[in-house]
Amino acid sequence: MRFSYSWLTEHLKTNAHFEEIEKKLTSIGLEVEDIQDTGKAYQDFIVGQVLEEKKHPNADKLKLCKVDIGKEKVDVVCGAPNVEKGMKVVYAPVGSTIPVNQMKIKAVKIRGVESYGMMCSEYELGISNEHDGIIRLEEKETIGRSFSEIYGLNDIVIEIGITPNRQDCLGVKGIARDLASAGMGELLERKISREKGSFKSPIKIEIQDNKICSAFAGRYFRNVKNTESPEWLKNKLKSIGLRPISALVDITNFVMYDENRPLHVYDADKIDGKIIVRSANDGESFLALDEKDYHLKNGMCVIADEKKVLGLGGIMGGESTGCSTETKNVLLESALFDEINTAKTGRNLSILSDARFRFERGIDPNSTLKGIDLATQLILEICGGECSEVELAGNIKENKNEVSTSSSYISRRLGFEVSDKELISILSSLGIETSQTGDVIKCLIPSWRQDIHGEADISEEVIRIKGYENIPTSNIRLKSKINKNILNYAQKKLMKARHFIASIEYDELVTFSFTDSKNCEVFGDINKLKIVNPISEDLDILRPNLLPNLLQAIKKNKNRNFDSFSIFEIGSQYRSTSPEDQLNVACGIKSGIKTEKSWKNIQTEFDIYDVKQDLTSLIDYLMPGNKKISVSNDCPSWYHPGRSGSIKINNSLIAGYFGELHPRVASQFKIKNKINIFELYLDELPNTEKKNTNKPVLNLSDFQIVTRDFAFVIDKKVKSEEIVTSAFKVDKELIRNVEIFDLFEDDSLGKDKKSIAIKVTLQSNEKTLAENDISEISSKIIESVEKSTSGTVRS
Amino acid sequence: MKDFRELETEIKKASDKFTNIESINEFRIKFLGKKGIISLEMKELASLSGDERKQHAEKLNKIKDTVLEIIASKTEELNSEELEKKLNSETLDITLSTSKSYGTIHPISQVIEEVITIFGDLDFFVAEGPEVETDYNNFTALNTSEHHPARQMHDTFYVETETDGMPNVLRTHTSPVQIRSMLKQKPPIRLIAPGKTFRCDNDQTHSPMFHQVEGLVIDQESNMSHLKGCLEIFLKTFFETDKLNMRFRPSHFPFTEPSAEVDIGYTKKGNQLIIGEGEDWLEILGCGMVHPNVLENVNINSNEYQGYAFGMGIERLAMLKYGISDLRTFFDSDLRWNKHYGFSPLNIPSIIGDLS
Repeated sequence: MRFSYSWLTEHLKTNAHFEEIEKKLTSIGLEVEDIQDTGKAYQDFIVGQVLEEKKHPNADKLKLCKVDIGKEKVDVVCGAPNVEKGMKVVYAPVGSTIPVNQMKIKAVKIRGVESYGMMCSEYELGISNEHDGIIRLEEKETIGRSFSEIYGLNDIVIEIGITPNRQDCLGVKGIARDLASAGMGELLERKISREKGSFKSPIKIEIQDNKICSAFAGRYFRNVKNTESPEWLKNKLKSIGLRPISALVDITNFVMYDENRPLHVYDADKIDGKIIVRSANDGESFLALDEKDYHLKNGMCVIADEKKVLGLGGIMGGESTGCSTETKNVLLESALFDEINTAKTGRNLSILSDARFRFERGIDPNSTLKGIDLATQLILEICGGECSEVELAGNIKENKNEVSTSSSYISRRLGFEVSDKELISILSSLGIETSQTGDVIKCLIPSWRQDIHGEADISEEVIRIKGYENIPTSNIRLKSKINKNILNYAQKKLMKARHFIASIEYDELVTFSFTDSKNCEVFGDINKLKIVNPISEDLDILRPNLLPNLLQAIKKNKNRNFDSFSIFEIGSQYRSTSPEDQLNVACGIKSGIKTEKSWKNIQTEFDIYDVKQDLTSLIDYLMPGNKKISVSNDCPSWYHPGRSGSIKINNSLIAGYFGELHPRVASQFKIKNKINIFELYLDELPNTEKKNTNKPVLNLSDFQIVTRDFAFVIDKKVKSEEIVTSAFKVDKELIRNVEIFDLFEDDSLGKDKKSIAIKVTLQSNEKTLAENDISEISSKIIESVEKSTSGTVRS
Repeated sequence: MKDFRELETEIKKASDKFTNIESINEFRIKFLGKKGIISLEMKELASLSGDERKQHAEKLNKIKDTVLEIIASKTEELNSEELEKKLNSETLDITLSTSKSYGTIHPISQVIEEVITIFGDLDFFVAEGPEVETDYNNFTALNTSEHHPARQMHDTFYVETETDGMPNVLRTHTSPVQIRSMLKQKPPIRLIAPGKTFRCDNDQTHSPMFHQVEGLVIDQESNMSHLKGCLEIFLKTFFETDKLNMRFRPSHFPFTEPSAEVDIGYTKKGNQLIIGEGEDWLEILGCGMVHPNVLENVNINSNEYQGYAFGMGIERLAMLKYGISDLRTFFDSDLRWNKHYGFSPLNIPSIIGDLS
């Protein structure tokens, strides 16, 4: 909401400095967003007259002008097409600053000719978008007069943010009233004469649906002249950024911004019969003042005559009855439209208008007739003519809202003592009438405050006027804890996982929860993930997997010359757009160069064993202690079928995957590198809340450790893990460790064969192992492995 | 009586000529070997008698000790010389290096962990809710009816699923977690709810996805002064400053009454933003006393219980604290940015250690 300081002081008698008022506005909840001291910005601009105008010798489109600016005559080079001899112009002298671009005017040579100053367009002065030519002032303007005086710009324009509850401050008067309540002066009542009207309105009004419009006041004016508005009115509107149109329209705009009372004027000669306020019929359409055709639906509030729709109640008038300079007879409307219905209609048709903005927030019912009176006074004064009696259809609600409260309730909510006396005094400053019975204070809410419904609202009014800075500060530390845990197990798991993964060289990314459906069919059912109103076409679904956005990140960073990627994200992915279909996943990618070629190392690349190790050590970290991790080949389709594995913990559900990205998916994302991925479904890790802080018992043996190496030739398709397990199970006590240390594949071993070498570590708890103990267990190991893998030991 | 002076001189002479371990060995054999001079002399003691034997023995033993001492000290000397020589030939270029790198924690995770740490210390537990929400939880239960003007300010994303005939939404704020939590738990309640939020808005200063942290306290006495105390301690701890100009001013949220917006003072020194001091104000969060209608919507008696709620933007906190200038860079996945603004994984926010 924009208003000028001078407009404000028409309603507020105050001795306060502007700076005090500025601070107070913010402190009572009318946040000052911008202040423009237009007097200061325009102080250098004055009226000049073009004495001579001739062609520039070196440029076709430029002209040389001599301009009289009062105290002297100056030469100005001008490019405006409309400059001519005798014209009164706005002159910007050397040293002044052009508002629109902050350019400082200097004496310059333009194509070889000296120019002192500039003649300005409305655009350059930041007044409008008119930049086709320079401003042509009226003939009568005195040379040397300050331009800001003529345009009424010798003022300060204030822009405040109005929160949705403060409908009462959508007019300058309401702002003045709130400032007066907060001790910034006295609210001035505008003297409005109440015209009775000399005849009955020939246009009758009928409300067919009083739910969507509870009251409609109309007044007929005959023989008006819809001229240009007087300067004071034009300047007022211009000061707050509105374009003056014609007196009748300007008057309704003025009343709206002054009293927060939307009005509408109809060209009465274009109305057929009576005014009917009704719900629209499905399929009806009408051409609104914004020159757009709107198709209406049942339930929308229309103002119609007996033949056609004239306007959308509380939102926008129509072209058919719009006023022009020819207009002679008009009907003035001041009505009460339903808030919710106005909001619904406006939203359905996507019409934003000042009227809608006000009606959907609630309008003071008492402004209905006041608005008619103020507009009548101005119409008769500016446009002449005669007015009818006021024709009122429907009822204007008279009874005020009632709220009961007490000083103890207010004190308990605000956190400091407010006495009955102080409470009553603050309320009465706001125009809230009170009556006290015992502790209960009954409040009658004035009609302009549509937002006060309950005791809590009263508490806000009290602290708003008293000042939020007067709220004391209290300690909130508790004597005894109320929450057993700050983070639950699942939350700790996420946090631990994040730090662990970052500690093994991955950079954490946070990407959008949306992604592009185009490349996502492989990851999930994209039809279940659609966003109805996506921000853009390529962010049209909720992500079925963390990978797509991470793959895009790799693509982008590849273009930034990165050749080694270790990135991860922990976040949610979605099975559908139902609230419960959200999963917590950790997804990491290692791709490209693992170790750079250097004086010490040869260059190596990441492969699936890197991500497998990261995944298993992550699981180990999150789930310390004994568990059985098993790996199998059943991976989802975005993995390379031969180079990927799924991980099961304790034979329950699959907790994660690792492997190489399927080449087909990689090429969809236009990625050429091998992408090694791990995914861990964090929700699938059993929630083993710590029950005991003790670690398992530690048994240490001091007897000698012996190691023995074995190599086996087995079929390629047999998993090496099989060797490890079958060796282990020979003697769980003596065999401390089995480790694969060599893999050898060569045709010399036989077709589709490989050789796997293991190192077995043996130690007894009772004695030093003798040679015959060792050879006995060695043969058992060979026997067990050969049997379970159908392989043969290499000698 | 033999005075062995000759022997002593000979030992002295021989001991000056050591050049390596072998010469020490020869020396030992010459004097102490089976047929060495001292050994032979020892044998001869048997032929002596009485005092003379005693005196000779004493003397010989002394000489033998001297020889052993010489052998020990000379061996040590030669060994260390040799080691010195070896070490001198074994130098490495210490200006060469290899590197070990850690990954990084995203600033959003860092700030969320900092916020959890501070509020955890004040006994707020961490609550959660889904990112796809019902219209009821996101708006209606929070006293924002279907046609409330505040809804239009939210630029809501809608999805195709419905709950009770209303399309589900991507939550526009973390406030629906208040509703979910209050339905699950009776007062006293102290919680924070950090998480992702979504609004259909994308420009220089808006991202369609961003993060918020919600706070909620419900009990029998918490009031505006506790709210002020709570935010003051949070902001001071978070910005790691003792000085903090904080300004409460009235605002409006449908789910709080009274509502407030909180500004903090700042100054600009060059490109640096100094938080806490100064005449200029930065808006940092919204808060207020929970609206009685919200409590009634979750079956909490609003005559018995009251409390406050607050919500703030994680990115904004991160930008102000860590001097990040552009909101959209958080989600750009530019690894240069991540490596620069990211945090060490060993850096776990702490109240007793460092917060950041």
